[in-house]
Amino acid sequence: MSESTGHSLQYVYRDSLLHKTYPLVKLIWVFVVALGLFLFRTPLPGAVLFVAVLVLAMAAGRIPFRQIMSSAKLIFGLGIILMFFHFFADPGTPVYQLGPLTVTDGGLRQGPVFFFRLSVVVLSSFLLIWTTDSRDLMVSLTQAGISYRYAFAVFLALRFLPMVQREVDSVRAAHAIRGQAASSSLGHRFKLWQRYMFTVLVNGLRKAEATAAALDCRAFGLYPKRTYVKPVHYNPKSLVLLAVTLIVIVGLMVVERGL
Amino acid sequence: MVETNSEFLVEIRDVTYTHWNHTEPTLKGLSLAIRRGTFNVLVGPGGSGKSTICDLLSGKIPHLMGGELEGEVWVDGINTRSVEVKDLALKVGHVFQDPESMFATLTVEDEIAFGPENLMLEVDEIRQTVETLLETAQLKPFRSNLVWNLSGGQVQRLGLSAILSMQPKMIVLDEPTANLDPVATRSVHELILSLREAGMTILLVTRELDDFLASADQLLVLDAGTVIAAGKPADVLRTAGQKMVENLGVWLPETSEIGIALQKTGSFAVKDIPITVDEAVCFLKETGLLKDQIIGKPAPAEVETAGELLITANNLTYTYPGEIHALKGVSLEIRAGEMLAIVGRNGAGKSTLAKLLVGLLKPGGGELNLFGKPAQQWKVQELANQIALVFQNPEHQFLTDTVEDEIGYSLLARGMTSAAERQKTINETLELLGLSLVAKAHPFSLSAGMKRRLGVATMLVCRPRVLVVDEPTYGQDKQMTQTLMEITEGIRSQGIAVVMITHDMRLVQEYASRVIVMSEGQVRYNGSPAGLFGREDILKSANLRPTILLELLAALKAQGIQICGEIPTTSAFLDALLPERSAASYRQEEVA
Repeated sequence: MSESTGHSLQYVYRDSLLHKTYPLVKLIWVFVVALGLFLFRTPLPGAVLFVAVLVLAMAAGRIPFRQIMSSAKLIFGLGIILMFFHFFADPGTPVYQLGPLTVTDGGLRQGPVFFFRLSVVVLSSFLLIWTTDSRDLMVSLTQAGISYRYAFAVFLALRFLPMVQREVDSVRAAHAIRGQAASSSLGHRFKLWQRYMFTVLVNGLRKAEATAAALDCRAFGLYPKRTYVKPVHYNPKSLVLLAVTLIVIVGLMVVERGL
Repeated sequence: MVETNSEFLVEIRDVTYTHWNHTEPTLKGLSLAIRRGTFNVLVGPGGSGKSTICDLLSGKIPHLMGGELEGEVWVDGINTRSVEVKDLALKVGHVFQDPESMFATLTVEDEIAFGPENLMLEVDEIRQTVETLLETAQLKPFRSNLVWNLSGGQVQRLGLSAILSMQPKMIVLDEPTANLDPVATRSVHELILSLREAGMTILLVTRELDDFLASADQLLVLDAGTVIAAGKPADVLRTAGQKMVENLGVWLPETSEIGIALQKTGSFAVKDIPITVDEAVCFLKETGLLKDQIIGKPAPAEVETAGELLITANNLTYTYPGEIHALKGVSLEIRAGEMLAIVGRNGAGKSTLAKLLVGLLKPGGGELNLFGKPAQQWKVQELANQIALVFQNPEHQFLTDTVEDEIGYSLLARGMTSAAERQKTINETLELLGLSLVAKAHPFSLSAGMKRRLGVATMLVCRPRVLVVDEPTYGQDKQMTQTLMEITEGIRSQGIAVVMITHDMRLVQEYASRVIVMSEGQVRYNGSPAGLFGREDILKSANLRPTILLELLAALKAQGIQICGEIPTTSAFLDALLPERSAASYRQEEVA
């Protein structure tokens, strides 16, 4: 089973503004967006940020809408489930009765807040992955004074994502053939799911172990510093992304608090 | 201070090593030496400790893998215990069995530069090295490719280049061509041989000796953690060849197998066991066995078309996202009771076809009829009762916690509800595949070869109407390959169609009743194996390569000897040369 089926969660070079933005700035940008989301108390600012990040991905990152949906649909789905959970679980004044379940006004407010928090944090992280050569991110971290050994850990983690995705696809295919045959009970399905996770985890750990050994065999960490054949140049224009985002977040907070 | 001989780059002295979670040592009092600038080939059955020796040399043992190590390992005058793995990287470059797992960057050129960057070489020097190696390894057109979008052969060549860029004194290659198509294998072999010409010290672990035996300076034979023979290949073959073939299951070139078999008869004065085709021709002439013609088995006029038609594909197409056209109009049929081999280069569309057959993918265009119903109307789970696929990585399809439970699970799925009957079948299957001793073990804890056998077993017991095996003999030694193939032969004779996706042309020649050659998503050949080996154009276009035996037959033909009928195996060749041997084996069969 050697043919590549193409994976949506990996860096592909495109001639876009976001691709040219300094990697460390994009990493800080993800943290700023996440921080902003946790300061919002109502759904509207989250919704605005959601649309803004989506537009940014398509316009400034040239990421096709189909690719965004293909990678993020699972997270969006999970977000929607969480949102419904909040409708019923959060305290507040009952506004609707659905059998034994009560929808509260607090739930209706908090549900979408959680949906947007999860979706936007994940989407902005994906945007970092899609538009950043993880090697450049590593170099930019070392340029900021972080030891290359630690910076490389971030790089490897990002590099592992497509490999894990391939593994998941392959195990899923094997289980589809063999797994369902014996029983279709819920208990059996849970066991299968456990095995599924076990296989992906074990193979993931093995790969990580092999890579760690390979790094030693390739003299990684031999000297306190290392050479970089391809330098990454800092461009102050990159800060525009951070500045605009900060303005938007502060603006949204002012509007939210003022309402 | 222990004295070391500067003539040797590597000296392993009386090493006994036990892996950290094992009770039995993997290496037992092992000693060997490797001279500077020599090419050394290490062979032995699965589990004999070949990879462990590689790990010893790179320092992974004892520094990263723990375990108990007795004895000494010296590399370039340094005891490997006294330095760290990263320091040894300057001495020994270790290309892992799966080079993909050692890649640390994203693109081909970054990967080659990674090692020299760690060594803090100058940027210009690194650039120069990268350019040279891209050229040597024929990777220049792919320099910006992502490392996981390369073909099998390219991955291996990149793995080797990434290590060579650090300019180590020696390279250690662990099965560099397992699972590559024959021409990709040859491209890797050529690269290794060019390094040998350049004077690099090499230790190569391989089961594909055809290209290397003639150029090796030293052949090391390992069995149960001990070197049982070491020396010039011709000497080792003469003294230990018979044991290698009969007891250790080592795959030797067919030319050598013929020499060893004739040596065993005791009727011929054998000075040297032949390795190359030319040597074999001279050897056979000296034995006086060559007559004007060699008569093999009568060749079947046509491929059998008697079995029930199970699967038909008509102009089948499949395209992956990103406009990757994997299948471009494939037409074929699969009949009950046939052994169909599907061959072709890596990425030719073979695995995509297998996925379509088992329902994991649905046809993009054309028709695919499975057991009388269009593929679109089948659910994967329903289809699983009719057609079984043994995956290349068997771990992916393991679902339980013990080896016997794995087989039991398949039997339960087949509807065998009686526990006693199930246990009986489990025991029989385990016995048949040599897995009885590990019945209670976790499937993930087995050796690679055992996992493969268990993967096959779980599917065999399902009694499907079609069994698809992706690389059936990958990682198996010769004896186990024969066992596996005899088992599949057995189920084929019961009317089950066996489809094997393989690169192993020897397997095709010996076992397949029909062969389909795929290239760039299309069927280039559909017919008998014998017919295929006569079509040089097709072999070339599909990156295939005839076996050494066929090369030998062609060389004999060129000498004016007439070859009649089919000679698919060395055994058939020997039968044709020695009619009394053939008669004796028939008598034995009759008695049996």
